[in-house]
Amino acid sequence: MGQKYSTEDHLKRLVDYKGAREFHLNKDRRKRDKRMSLSEAVAEFVWDGDIFAETGFSYVRSPIQAYFEVVRQQKKNLTGIGSPMSNTSYFMARGCMTGLHLSYVGVEMRGNDKNFARMIKSKTAEIYSIWSHGSMAQGFKAAQLGSPCIGSKQLLGTDMFTKNPYVHVINNPVGEGDDPVCMIPALFPDVCIIHVQQADRYGNAVIQGPAINDVALAAACRKVIITAERIVPEMTIRENSNASIPFWYVDAVVELPYGAYPGCCPGHYYWNREWWEWLIRIGTITQENMLEFTDRWIFNTKDPYDFVEKCGGIRTIDHARRLAEAAAGISDDTAISFHYDEVIPKRD
Amino acid sequence: MSNVAPANPLEMLAYNLSLLIEDGQIVYVGTGLPMVGAMLAHKTHAKNITMVFESGGQDPSEGCDMPWSVGDPFTFRKTPMSMEMSVSFGQCALGYVDIAFQGGAQIDMYGNVNTSVIGSYENLKSILPGSGGGNDIGSLTEKSVLVGLQTPDRFPERVDFLTTPGYLEGGDSRVKAGLFGGPIAVVTQVGVYDFEPVSKRMRIKALNPGMTVEIAQACTGFELLVPDEIPMVEAPPDEVLEILRTVVDPRGVFTKMPGT
Repeated sequence: MGQKYSTEDHLKRLVDYKGAREFHLNKDRRKRDKRMSLSEAVAEFVWDGDIFAETGFSYVRSPIQAYFEVVRQQKKNLTGIGSPMSNTSYFMARGCMTGLHLSYVGVEMRGNDKNFARMIKSKTAEIYSIWSHGSMAQGFKAAQLGSPCIGSKQLLGTDMFTKNPYVHVINNPVGEGDDPVCMIPALFPDVCIIHVQQADRYGNAVIQGPAINDVALAAACRKVIITAERIVPEMTIRENSNASIPFWYVDAVVELPYGAYPGCCPGHYYWNREWWEWLIRIGTITQENMLEFTDRWIFNTKDPYDFVEKCGGIRTIDHARRLAEAAAGISDDTAISFHYDEVIPKRD
Repeated sequence: MSNVAPANPLEMLAYNLSLLIEDGQIVYVGTGLPMVGAMLAHKTHAKNITMVFESGGQDPSEGCDMPWSVGDPFTFRKTPMSMEMSVSFGQCALGYVDIAFQGGAQIDMYGNVNTSVIGSYENLKSILPGSGGGNDIGSLTEKSVLVGLQTPDRFPERVDFLTTPGYLEGGDSRVKAGLFGGPIAVVTQVGVYDFEPVSKRMRIKALNPGMTVEIAQACTGFELLVPDEIPMVEAPPDEVLEILRTVVDPRGVFTKMPGT
């Protein structure tokens, strides 16, 4: 794309609203066919040293297969950001990500991510700042609103300020009397990949189910890649008038069925729950396990179809579709069982 | 004699959580036991509550199983709308959310919560997942309820790192910091605690069947305030336990004791 960042220091670039504007001004905004392959899109638009934003809800409508391609292409010195950001761990384990702005790394009730803990403890990767989900979401939202900062009632009174150089408490300058507010800067990651159920060839993208922070991130990020379950005619989107990301934000469009698998994609497939439990409870436990796990599922796996085949193929993915439809209440769920064999490692 | 097995400690915990929810409230729901508590309340004494989620689901229709995650399609099943994350948290500040739940690795005597680090960032003993939505709901929601397994390590006098504000240093320090609302209760396997209105120190409110003040104190790393009279929580009625076991969490994902 030929553009460079006006601020090389990534810690400053995250909040450089003028630089982000400058970058956006120089993007090719013609309405053109942006379809390309996943490997082309990642090669062209994810740069070494980028601030890389996680999208979706980490494993709900998140571009996990595109993340795997980022790892396969061995991008270097990425900085992670996102709320939440549970895919951080394998980026770090495979040498792609050397730091992060932390909101939450984990798989909820499945347990703590021991690989992430190891990476931080051994100083293989660094925490640049810490956030809550909501305060980081406000930073992305401020960017989308075109506002350099936002006054928040979050983070006040806590130790978060000792580990976040970006936020400051001031007295509300437009209020009366004592009214502490936390000033949060607009946040501008360099790049994000967003997985959607539908997009057209130009990049108009339709999100089905919760958008999480993706509408804000699409506006904030300097570069945006869309991966989509389906590429639909532009007129389909125009008839429903339901795109939440406009084509001019978007640099590349990749048709990528099963692109959010083994995560959940609303309307398409439920999680591969065993995969996540295997990752967190066995994969992250030791460095050796983590390398073996990522070898198997990332380096020795070509693409989403290959991944699905390894998980059991048509039976597995069709079951995942049935569970997603049952959970959403769009099929008759009375005969559907959500039972599965939870992955619980045996202890000696 | 009833032929329904008595509640195990996790079921007791879920039951106590459910009792804190009043009918008609808007409830901010996270994963795990709080979700079980909210659903149990909804199936028993609080049929008209509305559940909202940080991942975006607002007032989902009743589902056929427990959500596996707070972002599960069950949390936005036939939802009239979903909200972006920043907007969903914004409701807590706007005064549209009545009660929210929060867990943590450490909870201290003023209800401050740590989900960041044990030790310090400079001298790490262990690193925890991070705030997630904890700080947001704990800073903004009118009433928050803290949930945890109670041990002296998990209930220290002062959290190693203050991720989510309770009453900070006690007294009026929370209000002075510019925060809204605050924790109204702490629910553990031992019982239910509240905060003394002036000092804002944690105080025993009620104990679960079989528990004593001595046990409560032995499970705590600071001195609990002990009122003159402490009621015992009555064991949940059989029909409530039946609903919990057959309708709310039939596979025992959250309320079956490990190893049973």
